[in-house]
Amino acid sequence: MIVVVMFFCLVCGAVLQAVWPTWLWLGQASAPFLLGLVLYYALSHGDGFMLLAAVLAGLLQDALGLIPLGYSSFCFCLTALIVSRFREMVFSGDWPAHILFGAVAAAGVSLVLSLLLSHDGRLLIGPGWTILKAFGAGLLGAIVIPFEFRVLEALDRMLGNLHERGR
Amino acid sequence: MREKGILVWIALGVVLLAVLNLPEAVSLQVKAALRDGVAPLQGALASSVRNTKEIFRLIRGFGGLAVENEQLAAEVVRLRNEVRDLKALDRENGALRDQLKFYKKTSLQMIPCEVIARDITGWWQTIRLGKGSTDGILPNMAVISSDGLVGKTVAVSSRTADVLLISDPTCRVSAQIIRTGAFGIVSGSGPTERGQVTCRMEFINKTVSIQPGDEVITSGLGGVFPKGLLVGYADKVVMDESGLYQRADVIPRADLGLLEYVFAVVEQGDAQDLYLRKKQLVKEVKP
Repeated sequence: MIVVVMFFCLVCGAVLQAVWPTWLWLGQASAPFLLGLVLYYALSHGDGFMLLAAVLAGLLQDALGLIPLGYSSFCFCLTALIVSRFREMVFSGDWPAHILFGAVAAAGVSLVLSLLLSHDGRLLIGPGWTILKAFGAGLLGAIVIPFEFRVLEALDRMLGNLHERGR
Repeated sequence: MREKGILVWIALGVVLLAVLNLPEAVSLQVKAALRDGVAPLQGALASSVRNTKEIFRLIRGFGGLAVENEQLAAEVVRLRNEVRDLKALDRENGALRDQLKFYKKTSLQMIPCEVIARDITGWWQTIRLGKGSTDGILPNMAVISSDGLVGKTVAVSSRTADVLLISDPTCRVSAQIIRTGAFGIVSGSGPTERGQVTCRMEFINKTVSIQPGDEVITSGLGGVFPKGLLVGYADKVVMDESGLYQRADVIPRADLGLLEYVFAVVEQGDAQDLYLRKKQLVKEVKP
């Protein structure tokens, strides 16, 4: 059941991320719905689900954009691994921790991706724009990801997935 | 428990390595399949957003409908007269071309497409169309709106096509200034601080005089964009640091931030290519 919910949420997250508006003053960063999903599974489920979510979310993000396949999966897996180290320190309803994780992870992923893409010569943007975009991604992550956590938690609770995990 | 953890890490490493090293063709197929899977949802969501916007626009604009109707009626009369005059001119032009044995300019075919999404990552200036190869769209086709050039198709699946907008720095268009005939390359320079989308025309002959407001069109060189599509208007002109050529800011005519419907331009060559591909497919299916 957890996997079914994960697939459903991934598709919804990808669609939302694609239609969500971007703002110039945030460096046209997109709202990190897919990254939020990865963070949620990193903090609330086991390693297997976390990595599955990271790989699938990355594949979806790459497929729906011009990023070569695998780049986002790599970044998401790296983020999930780092975040899962703090799993025991974070309480499920801890808003400030989710805001902090959301902001740092979104900005970090944005920077790492820009480095990878610039290194490949696929991206022709200056450092100023990259920093603005990372700032925008961080801000959007701090706003979007905590709410996403609540929605996913409610969905998992309703379907008994959190109970399943407890067993 | 520890062995299970190690197995998970090994599996992850293998999967990541495999994905990162997929052959280009397989990678494109995987991407296309995922895109096609999500496309109906994206299309439905984009339509709902558009319909909601229309409803609000309608509610807001009730008061001005009568005035707008009057203006549109006047516009229709004016345009009908203009079309009548143009038809006469077209006939005359055709006859003159025949007499001079000029080649007949082929008319461009258009495939109307709905914009269903924008770039999911925000790294590139792209839009996604709700039509793909099954509707006749191929990679490297020019895409225009009713105002002017929008970009070119870069990744095409059976149901969707991604369009790289001319405002993206990686999109390059061979262009020409109508008034002077000077050639150059237009590429995107991204949005400015004021929020205006701009492009830059480079490698313009340094002796040519360019004035702000000069119309910039596609030159037809390069093989992607047909000749004569309006790109935008020249703005600020400066001499390049090397002193070898001029550079001009170009303001795109099409409003790239508010695209809802666009047209993929099918050239004669594209149509032939599509015909051959279909024929090839038929051959392959036949025993």
